This record gives sequence, structure tokens and C-alpha cells, in this order.
Amino acid sequence: MIKRLLGLLAGVVLVGTFASPIAQAQDYPNDTINIVVPFSAGGPTDTVTRLVAESMSKTLGQQIIVENVGGAGGTLGAARVAKAEPDGYTLLLYHIGMATTATLYRKLPYDPKTAFAPVGLVTEVPMVMIARKDFPPNNLQELVTYVKENKDTVTYANAGVGAASHLCGMLFMQAIETPLTTVPYKGTGPALTDLLGGQVDFMCDQTTNTTGQIKAGEVKAYGVFADQRVEALPDLPTIKEGGLEGLSFGIWHGLYAPAGTPDEVVNKLSEALKVALADPNVIKRFAELGTEPVPADQATPEALKAKVASEIDRWKPVIETAGEYAD
Amino acid sequence: MNANSKDLSAGLLFIAIAALFAFQTRDLDMGTPLRLGPGAFPLLLAGVLALLGLIIVLQAFRNPVTHSMTIPWRGIVLIVLAPIVFGLTVRGLGLVASIALVVLISAYASRRMHLKLATLLTIGLTLFCVLVFSIGLGLPLRLVGSWLRGLG
Amino acid sequence: MELLLNLGLGFETALTPVNIVYCFIGVLLGTLIGVLPGIGPTATIAMLLPITLALSPVTSLIMLAGIYYGAQYGGSTTAILVNLPGESSSAVTAIDGYQMARQGQAGPALAAAALGSFFAGTVATLILAVLAPPLTGLALKFGPAEYFSLMFLGLITSVALAHGSVVKALAMVVLGLLLGLVGTDIYTGTPRFTFDFIELADGINFVAVAVGVFGIAEILRNLENEHDRDVTVKHVSNLMPTRHDLRKIAGPVMRGTVLGSLLGVLPGGGHILASFAAYTMEKRISKTPERFGKGAIEGVAAPESANNAGAQTSFIPMLTLGIPSNPVMALMIGAMIIQGITPGPNVVTDEAALFWGLIVSMWIGNLLLVVLNLPLIGLWVRLLKVPYFILFPAILAFSAIGIYSINSNAFDLFAVAVFGVLGYALVKCECEPAPLLLGFVLGPMLEEHLRRAMIISRGDPTVFFTRPLSLALLIIAAAVLILVLMPNVAKKREQVFVEED
Repeated sequence: MIKRLLGLLAGVVLVGTFASPIAQAQDYPNDTINIVVPFSAGGPTDTVTRLVAESMSKTLGQQIIVENVGGAGGTLGAARVAKAEPDGYTLLLYHIGMATTATLYRKLPYDPKTAFAPVGLVTEVPMVMIARKDFPPNNLQELVTYVKENKDTVTYANAGVGAASHLCGMLFMQAIETPLTTVPYKGTGPALTDLLGGQVDFMCDQTTNTTGQIKAGEVKAYGVFADQRVEALPDLPTIKEGGLEGLSFGIWHGLYAPAGTPDEVVNKLSEALKVALADPNVIKRFAELGTEPVPADQATPEALKAKVASEIDRWKPVIETAGEYAD
Repeated sequence: MNANSKDLSAGLLFIAIAALFAFQTRDLDMGTPLRLGPGAFPLLLAGVLALLGLIIVLQAFRNPVTHSMTIPWRGIVLIVLAPIVFGLTVRGLGLVASIALVVLISAYASRRMHLKLATLLTIGLTLFCVLVFSIGLGLPLRLVGSWLRGLG
Repeated sequence: MELLLNLGLGFETALTPVNIVYCFIGVLLGTLIGVLPGIGPTATIAMLLPITLALSPVTSLIMLAGIYYGAQYGGSTTAILVNLPGESSSAVTAIDGYQMARQGQAGPALAAAALGSFFAGTVATLILAVLAPPLTGLALKFGPAEYFSLMFLGLITSVALAHGSVVKALAMVVLGLLLGLVGTDIYTGTPRFTFDFIELADGINFVAVAVGVFGIAEILRNLENEHDRDVTVKHVSNLMPTRHDLRKIAGPVMRGTVLGSLLGVLPGGGHILASFAAYTMEKRISKTPERFGKGAIEGVAAPESANNAGAQTSFIPMLTLGIPSNPVMALMIGAMIIQGITPGPNVVTDEAALFWGLIVSMWIGNLLLVVLNLPLIGLWVRLLKVPYFILFPAILAFSAIGIYSINSNAFDLFAVAVFGVLGYALVKCECEPAPLLLGFVLGPMLEEHLRRAMIISRGDPTVFFTRPLSLALLIIAAAVLILVLMPNVAKKREQVFVEED
């Protein structure tokens, strides 16, 4: 019986074996491309990826499949791509986490600086500071004063260790030199629910998630963490206008291939990315998300490489000072 | 001493699991009432589970029944092996070969299986899965995996 | 009056041929993936998101919603026929539904589920239309203390689910709670019980646990004495419920609908409790509680109605607040964003046609489900006649693909193997898996809300008793606990237990 079973197994393996073309850099791409999103479907990174993939697929003439490999702040999906064949058929679209997990996780199975061949920056979604509707302060200066005076009763919500809202909170507290009580949530959705219900006082979130509530007056907004005001919320001042310097930061997204991917392939991908970012449809959808594509000179391997390096250096001291790690 | 073997093993199993969890909380911070640590709630639960396990063990002695158990060892080994093999091979061999392996291995868990039926079942189900999941639902799974590329 | 105008707008939108066709495609696809074990609506909707870009926003949301409640429906079919719940809500349906199927009553069980779901869907759609704004206000009143009390109540009531020993049921709940805590602690980022597997950082996959403790354990149990008897049901007595059956399910369906509609509104897992709570309530008020767990048709009708009503009303926080109450709703929000609609409170006014069209389409979709499924019952039941040794390799193959498709992670498949063995060992010890699954889902939420409530109250544990809603829930929990432990009830339970031995 066992022998027969083995015979069958061998047969199955043989049947499944048939020739497939070996990837050549010159005729890349001649097969379906997978882009790994290291988060679950439906989130902001997933949305950004699907919009860009749709357009890149037309340029490259190949189907692009978006694969959601969620887990451990995105590091599981990133680790998968770091180990993948460097042939340009497995790519990664990861956000600012690429830089922050370098410090947040003390045991990362890959080195964010060397494990990937950067393709280009995609977009930068700014963060906004929002509060429950009936929170007393009306602008950023009032917020800073109020928070300092009531530091024992004010609560700041975040979406869990390592989340953008967590980084934003660390940055803000270090800037005003006042540690506050933070209430962590599992994702920004439930945090926003409790903010709307008045259970917690204030938080930061991406414009992507908050523009609707801000416009409807369901939450108070204090400022956007960007150098310029965002198009979707023209009345909202920047944090800098509100008097806090050096806090501007956004959730930037980058496209990566595994390290060792041939330069020709990376350049082809980068060109396709530039085309996608100039696509009027992508620009329109991005605007509705409260963001815009990066300028063409940023959608390059060099720009992304520099961004990863500078962001790792920027967040290292912030995270180490706060002493909060994800492992 | 006689005991209800099912209750006794259930109770002991619960106590063992509770001990495992409690042991794992030793490195976790218990925190303060304001900010409960990551270890507090699990340790509480492990305690409750151990207590419940103990009650089940004690009850076992009140109602001594011995049960005869038939354990389908061949079934256990093959059925448990099937998802593991799928996990190990789906990327390497691809969906077609990997799902065929799952069907083939699990089919032999039944003592009634014979070669002809197993072959038919493997071919039929593999075809069905490819049609439904890969073509119909468009699951992003490669039909032929990287191990088989460039061969033959 | 305004409501009629709004509903008129809704019908106008939902009844365009294109929308009816996509609604039908949605529920059909939903039923299909619901019936296939392992693969759930989350994965399907995620995969279909890019396709919906080509459709108008209303049409795409109508189709995606159809997949969601179609899958809820199809999932109960698998729970009833092969005891394999694809999600926590159908775990309850499996308890009595599967017993009915084994007794040749699969037809009436499926029909009860279909009719109950349709009724619940109709009522919940109306509730959605009339009460969306006020109910949203109620949901926002739920702070962490209220949630903790609600979950606690859910756990206490779940003990009544078990038809064996109370202590064993409690132990299974606690074991479930513990397993649910595996993963990264969201408060400190500390990994707990992960044994250094980075794959466990986000916890154990729910579908892997469900397939393991229900599916694999059931297959193994059936393999025990293959040569003695055929495990599949050869005789199927009747396909349709009798008049007597219908009379029996009327009450449970109505109560389940009310309970499900209310709990569904709560963001953050309210709908999970719906089917458990409905089942418990029916068992409590039944004159013959000993029939539960052995094929009581009320035990299928009530949770199915509650489940479907909850699925419908869980759209309320999503549509009116832009807040997802579960992963599927998160995807729906993603779909809106892709379509260029900013989810939030202004959807009702700015996108009136979309809002009302979607609501009306849900009712149409439910109608389509009944029309689609009542004739199909015969076909589903015939599935039971497939010899088991052909059926279980199929179940394993579908589950394996389904589980892998969630996170593309082989680790989840290893978890299936582990939980299959654990589940089988527990079943051999006469411990039921349903309470374990409830604990598993609620464990992380229970802890999260407990700790959050303590932080917000500055470490004052009386917060659970000083907030009126929370206090009310705790009083109900205490009442249920007393009922379970009261001498005559306890005696009744014991009788049930003895009968079973």
C-alpha cells in the first residue's frame, strides 16, 4: 500500500512538472507580478497599492496581483519579500513602517537598509491631530496649554505600538515635553469610535481616515503634520502654522524589490511607477484620499533609498527615548 | 482508585495547559491597577483554568466509569499530515501538485480507500479546486510553483 | 413620509437591471464561498475589490454587501451539513443543525435557517432604514466599561450552550480566552505565548482554530468506527419543515431577530454575541431545554435569525459613522474609498441614492437568497449522501486553500494540524468546542476593554458599577449566573447530563 502511495505521489509530482520560461531581465516582465502588501485588505496601504498596481499593470503589459500578507506591523510580509527570488516578480509596497520597525523590533529577520532594492516613493499621506467634538481647546496653542495643565486627566488614543498614531503621539509629547496617559487600540477604527463617543480626548490619524469626520464636524481638528495645507482640507492650518516646529511627518509609501534584483528590472519598474503616478485617474483618487502622488523625481530608487536611511535615523532616537518597542 | 477516565483526562489536560500558560507569564509584567500589565489577565485566567481542571478531576472520582477508546491512529497521522504538507509545498510545488498531495494523503486516512478511487478522487478534486479557486475566484496562488519552474 | 420618499429613492436605485444582476451575482458568489469551508467573505471581498473599480459605486457596494450576507447564509449550510462553521456565528448553528442532519432532518434545518434569515433580514433592513441615526447614538454610549460588561455577560450565557458538564463548559471558555490572548499585547507591544514564532505576533488565526477543533476533530471522530457504520445519512425523511415545525420556529425567529438587530449595531464584536445570545435565550425559555444540543429546530432558527439580523445592522456604524464594526466592514469602507466616496456621517445626506439603494438592495438580496436556496436545499442535502471517505478529502482540500488564502501563510496550516489534535483530544474527553471558540473570539476583546476601562478611570475598578449601562449588563449577568446555579435548574441540568450518558 505504502509503495503504491509513493508511486502515486511521484506521478503527481511529475504531472505537475512542466516547462516554464526562465525569467530574463531583457524581456521582463513576461509573467504575472505579485505585489505584497504587508497589511490586511481594505486599509490605506492596500488602497494605495491597488490604485498604483492597476495603472502599472497597463504600462508593463502584465497582470499584477496584490497579495495581502499581514502580521507583526508589516514585518512578516516584508520578510517574505526580502527572501523572495530577486527576479522582479515579487515586490513589496510598505509604508513608513519600513523605517520605524528597524528600531521598534529588536529582532528583525532582515535589514531594512540592505535587504531590498528600492524602486521608488509612491505617496506621502499627512497626519492630522483631532479631538472629540466637545474637547475644550479650539486651536493648537490652546491644545498645548490645556494638555500641559491637565496632563493627569487628558487621554491620548493610539492604534497600538508602532502605529502611525503612536509615533505621532511620541513626537508630540516629546515636543511639548509632557508625557500623557495613552490609551492603545487595535487599529484606528476602534480608536476613532471611542473618540467620537467621547471616551478618549484626542489622537492623530491619517487624513485618509479622518477627512469625512472633520468635514462633518464630528471631530475637532487642530492641524495637519505637513509643510503645506492639504487640498482636501483647505481651512485646516499646518502644525507649523500653529507654532510647533519640526513635527511635520506623513505616512510615506515606497515600492521595493528584493535586494539583488537586476538594475534593468528595477528601472523598468520605476518608470512604470512614474507613469502610474502621473495617471490622472490615480491623481484624482489620491486627492479623494487626502493625499497626492510624490513628484516624479521622488519615484526613483535613489530617492527611496535616501528616504529609508533618513527616516531610520529620524525615528531611532524618538522611539529609544520613549523606550517603547514592539517585541 | 477508580475514576471516570474521560473526566480525569480532561481535568489533567486543562491543568497541564493552565500550567503551561502560567509558566509563560513568568517574564511578563503584571503592571498596576491603573495600567494592568500584559501578564495580569493571562495569569488570572490560567489560575481559573487550573481550578476548573481540579474540580473536574475531583468529580471524576465520584463517578467511576472506564471508557474503552478506539483511536484511529492511521487517520490522525494522515489527516494531520495533509494541511502540513500543503503548507510546506504550496509555494514550492504550486497549487496543482500541492492540492493533489493533500487529497491523496487524506484519502488514505480512510481504510476503505483503494488505488483506483484515490486516483479518481485526486484528479477530480484537483481539477475542481483549480477551476473554482484559481480561475473562478482568482485566488493569487501560482498553479506551478518555483521548485518546478525550469524543470523538464 | 420622509422615510417613504427615501425608500422610494432606494427602490429606484436598487431595482435598475444592472444593480439587480450584481446583487444576484453577489449573493450567489457569497453562498458559494460560504458553503466552501475555510474561505470566507473577507478574503473574497478583498480579492474582488479591484474588479469593482470598473463598476459604479452603488453597484459595487451592492455586490460586495451581497457577498457578505450571502456568505453568512452559505456558512450555516456547511455548519449544518458537515459540522464545519466558517465563522464564530455559525458555530452555534452547528450544534443543533448538525444533529438534525444526522437524524435525517437536514432539509427542515436548512429551511428553518433560510426562512429565519429572510425574516430577520427583512426586519433588520427596516430597522436599518428607520433607526440608523438613533441606534448609532446608542452605540457611541458604549465605552470600554460597557463593552467589558457586555462580553462578560456573553461569556456567562455561553455556559448554557453546553449540554454536558457546566464545569467543563466553563473550562473550555477559559481555555478559549487564553488561546485568544496569544500574540502581541497591544498595550505594551510585548509578545505573549508566541514561543518566538513571529507568525504568532498577531495571534492564532480564527479560521485555523475553527477548522481544527470542529472540522479535523469531526473527521477523526468519524474515522473511529468506519467499519461499524456508515457515517453519512442515507435516509432523508423530508425536505421541507412541517406546519408543526413552522409554528415552533416562529417565536425563536422573532426573538432572535430583535436580539440580533440590537447587538449588531455595537461596533467591535456585538454581532458575534448575537447568535450565541439568541441560542442561550431560547434554551432558557424553552419548556424542553434537554432537546437542545440534540437537534432542536429552535436551536437553528434563533441563532440564524440573530446572526443575519446582526450582519444587517452592523452596516449602521459603517454607513453612518464610517466606522468598521468587523473586518468585512473595513473592506466595505476600503471599497468606498477606492470609489472616491469618503465614508463618514455625511454619506447619508451627500450620497442619499447610494445609502438608500444599498439598504433596499439588502432586502432584495435576502429575497434572492430565499429564492435561490429553497430549491437548492434538495441539492445540499444530496451532498450528505456522498460517501464520507470522498467528502472529507474535499473538506480538507478546500479548507487548506481557504486558510492559506487569508494571509498566504503556511504557519496557519500548521496551526490547523495542532488544533485538530487538541480538538480531537478534547472531544474524546466530552468537552464541546463551541464555548472554546466563543472564548477565543472574546478573549482579546475582554482584556482590551478591561485594561482600557482601568486606564480611562485612572485605576478605579468601581467604574464597572457606576456607569448605568455597564451596571445593568452586570446585573443581568449575575441573574443568569444565579439561574444556572440555582438548585432546581442545576438538578434539571444534571438530569440532562445523566440522560446523555
